[in-house]
Amino acid sequence: MSKDAITVKNLHISYRTLKGFSIKKNLLKLKMSKTEIFEAVKGVSFEVEKGKILGIIGKNGSGKSTLLRSIAGIFSPDTGSIDLHGNSVSLLSIGVGFQNKLSGYENIFLSGMLLGFSEQQIKEKINEIIEFSELGNFIHKPVSSYSSGMYSKLAFSITAILETDIMLIDEVFSVGDVKFKQKSYNKMKELISDENRTVLIVSHSLGTLKELCDEVLWLHDGKIKQIGNPEEVISAYEEFMKKD
Amino acid sequence: MKKFFQDIKKYYKYIIYATKSNLKSEVANSYLNWLWWILDPLCFMLIYTFIVEIVFKTSEQYLPIFVLVGLTAWNFFNTTISSSVKLIANNKSIVTKVYIPKYILLLIKMLTDLFKMFISWGLILIMMIVFKVPYTIYILQFFPVLIVLFVLSFGIACILMHFGVFVEDLSNVVKIVLKLTFYLSGIFYAISTRVPAPYNRILLNLNPIAFIIDSFRKTFLNAHLVNYRMLGLWLLVGIILSIIGIKTIQKYENSYAKVTK
Repeated sequence: MSKDAITVKNLHISYRTLKGFSIKKNLLKLKMSKTEIFEAVKGVSFEVEKGKILGIIGKNGSGKSTLLRSIAGIFSPDTGSIDLHGNSVSLLSIGVGFQNKLSGYENIFLSGMLLGFSEQQIKEKINEIIEFSELGNFIHKPVSSYSSGMYSKLAFSITAILETDIMLIDEVFSVGDVKFKQKSYNKMKELISDENRTVLIVSHSLGTLKELCDEVLWLHDGKIKQIGNPEEVISAYEEFMKKD
Repeated sequence: MKKFFQDIKKYYKYIIYATKSNLKSEVANSYLNWLWWILDPLCFMLIYTFIVEIVFKTSEQYLPIFVLVGLTAWNFFNTTISSSVKLIANNKSIVTKVYIPKYILLLIKMLTDLFKMFISWGLILIMMIVFKVPYTIYILQFFPVLIVLFVLSFGIACILMHFGVFVEDLSNVVKIVLKLTFYLSGIFYAISTRVPAPYNRILLNLNPIAFIIDSFRKTFLNAHLVNYRMLGLWLLVGIILSIIGIKTIQKYENSYAKVTK
């Protein structure tokens, strides 16, 4: 029996045909503009075992975020398939569905429920979230009065404490001040090292990846260039980037 | 369709919570807060009453209530339709970050407006006392008419929401069509008496909003039975449009995030 948590098979995602058009433009031109095709992910296949941590590296625009979003169910693949084997998944992203005029406390519920948690589950965790976010009394002030650091702290705390089976992390290590950064890094490590949790991390900080990941996937122009041992892949990647 | 009801079941708590939050944040920073929800319909009622009575020198029985009924139903339809076009773009931060069935966003918006509409209906009931309009059993007709209005708005809005993602200037077209509908719906005049003979029938039967507003007036002011055959027909149209809209959204919603970049 395989214990894979994520199985991705021959995944293609492209942004063709979906360019917005306007009625005015089409009236003036009297013919449809040629649609541009941009293929962001071109035939990617891989599996992640349950409890493993997969890092994804690659230069900007190589399709990393597109890949994560399609696994989170925001994009539909054009061809190929993604099988999550029934696990719950969340894309760890900052400040989903916040209402800026409402207090942080209410936004925890709003954001948490949007991520698919019940009111009850959030109630159980809310003290932990507030404590972790270090906001103190500010939690009852409107989010619009927060500094950008406080805002990200709150957002990070929500997603870090409400846990799912599969976590997708897209560059969130640089949150808050030095102290909070260290704390969130430790929390991240704690979350990640849970044996039942499967994690996909997209990051440019290679040192972090080397330390955390079981495996690293190197994405280049929408294709897998290399996948395997973190040390090897990362050094090959560094080599490659220097040449460019 | 099964998925639609499952989604409602799964997200209804979020819908309620988000609706409450919307209402709260709307009043959070304004001076008169929720008073605007009362002042707004009242002021527009006064404006149209002024225009009809002073400028056009015509009148209907109980004119202020007559206008307010029209405005209340119209405002709900109008805000639902015009906001649906840009709904996905306005919720970009949600759409690009988590999966949520997109009609949930529409339902949140509609429930927010529904709440505000009920304040307006409450005002109408109060004004009926002031103007000595008798309360009759016919007021119970309010609920079936309201359901038809809701279903019809939802159906049209679903379809517009889908096309609004792909067609950039759809909102301009919708704005013009809505303005036309506004004047053709008899919000500050009675279609049956002010529009010449064959056209008033046609307008009342083919323009659902005119029909719905007329039915609401029968309910509150005229103590008259609503034309239930037409009402059923429009309910059917509304349900068909909703099913088409829901199916379309379910088919394409996962590509919305690609367009709203």
